[in-house]
Amino acid sequence: MRTKSKKRIYMAVSCLSVLTVLLIWYLLIDVMKITKSSVFPGLVKTFDTFLSKLVETKPDGATLGQHLLESLKVCLLGYSIGAILGIPLGIAMAWNKWCDWLVRPVFDLIRPVPGLAWTPMFILIFGIGIEAKAMVIFVNSFVACILNAYTGIRQTDDLHLWVGDVFGATEWQKLIKIAIPTATPMIFTGLRTALGGSWMALVAAEMLAASKGLGYMIQQARYISRPDLVIVGMLTIGVVGLILDTILHKIEIMVAKGMNAQ
Amino acid sequence: MKKKTFNIAELICAVISLAVFFGIWHLGTRGELGKLMPGPLPVIEKFLQTLFGGKIGSSTLIVHVAYSLARVMIGYFIGAAVGIVLGLSMGWSPLIEAIFAPLFRIIRPIPPIAWIPISIIWIGLGEDAKIFLIFLASFCYVTQNAWSGAKNVNPEYMNAARMLGAGKSRILFTVVLPASIPPIFAGLQVALSSCWATVLAAEMVRSSEGLGWIIIAGMNNNDMNQIMTGILAIGLVGMMLSTIFRKVEARLCRWNRSEN
Repeated sequence: MRTKSKKRIYMAVSCLSVLTVLLIWYLLIDVMKITKSSVFPGLVKTFDTFLSKLVETKPDGATLGQHLLESLKVCLLGYSIGAILGIPLGIAMAWNKWCDWLVRPVFDLIRPVPGLAWTPMFILIFGIGIEAKAMVIFVNSFVACILNAYTGIRQTDDLHLWVGDVFGATEWQKLIKIAIPTATPMIFTGLRTALGGSWMALVAAEMLAASKGLGYMIQQARYISRPDLVIVGMLTIGVVGLILDTILHKIEIMVAKGMNAQ
Repeated sequence: MKKKTFNIAELICAVISLAVFFGIWHLGTRGELGKLMPGPLPVIEKFLQTLFGGKIGSSTLIVHVAYSLARVMIGYFIGAAVGIVLGLSMGWSPLIEAIFAPLFRIIRPIPPIAWIPISIIWIGLGEDAKIFLIFLASFCYVTQNAWSGAKNVNPEYMNAARMLGAGKSRILFTVVLPASIPPIFAGLQVALSSCWATVLAAEMVRSSEGLGWIIIAGMNNNDMNQIMTGILAIGLVGMMLSTIFRKVEARLCRWNRSEN
């Protein structure tokens, strides 16, 4: 009973803390007006902007939904190609030593470069269209997927493989029935890391070169001093990133049931 | 599986794969593609040339590296210090957790790069804005890990310490803190590479020196050679940072090695 009431108190404290921050924001900016609204927007104005941006295309030529859709399209395109190519390659590298020895040196060369550092190069090669951004995200998710699939397969318990040997499993069966299930939680960790990284790299790429998308929107809003719009964009980016991660986590729990997924 | 023996077959494979990689790159850029992309030799030549002697923009390559590294280090250490303190206290005291957890949950999913425009509006174009961004990048990861580290301490250890008569602060410093160090270090490592990516993005958006500036200036001048040189330097520094970090971690958390 005591812990329950305590929990309720803490809940109240949590709500109170968020409300306090919002109240301070409201009082300082909306009521006392300590800064200009071109520096720090008021709470009411930001909320207003969010509502009007849902339907209005001003000032950057697309509604919030259109920007969001464009960003999601590019992100998911690059991300899924990276995952589809990266996971099998990572598994192959961990399973077959020849594959490992041949691919690893080149992979080690590319790995330490953060994905978004490729942005200028891809923009020069592919132009500022969808390909350059998709390539940046592809590299991002490709590297993360390879790394985690590799580590996951390498974690396979030797004992389990020996059991497979004893029961006369072929190499292929050992891979499919023992190693890949062992690696599944790790592969999902990689998929989630990759998704977070991709989303971030996309925002960066859109700030540099795009004509639509959330990163473009906040960058344009900065040029015309509309911090309210910037904050709306930032929160949207954050919330969408969170939703994507949650969806992937739900899939992980469904797929990796009983494979020590948390 | 972890045998570290010298292996001739592995070495030959490494040589073959690197040779094929550079060979394709070299031959591929000799023809039409060469107008768009430099081969490996000019890039390495430019890298060595500008490392100490020649200049890219206003300074040599090593000075650009120093600029970027200085930004990363300042923001990283401030963020790590604040993050460890906040994360540990959130894991330790339910009251502090109740106050800060909802606010932290709102801020954390926003990638540090998305803060670039607002930080420019608030802080300006100078160094402070970049350090603020890197601070955010390291702060979020470190806080998250310190928080979950301190929360997941085996309660039996804490009960045992309490039974043996340890006070609250004693438990915090001798049980909770050491137990949270491995997750904190994991957070610090992720934070370091995230900071390195963030500083590049920040420099690409607005700066006049640093590695991010090198590659974006290369793009604006249509100078692919400069971009590749920048990418090469970025990769080398990133590799150095993670190697140094792993060495430091192996030193400081020697007692934890057996678990991994």
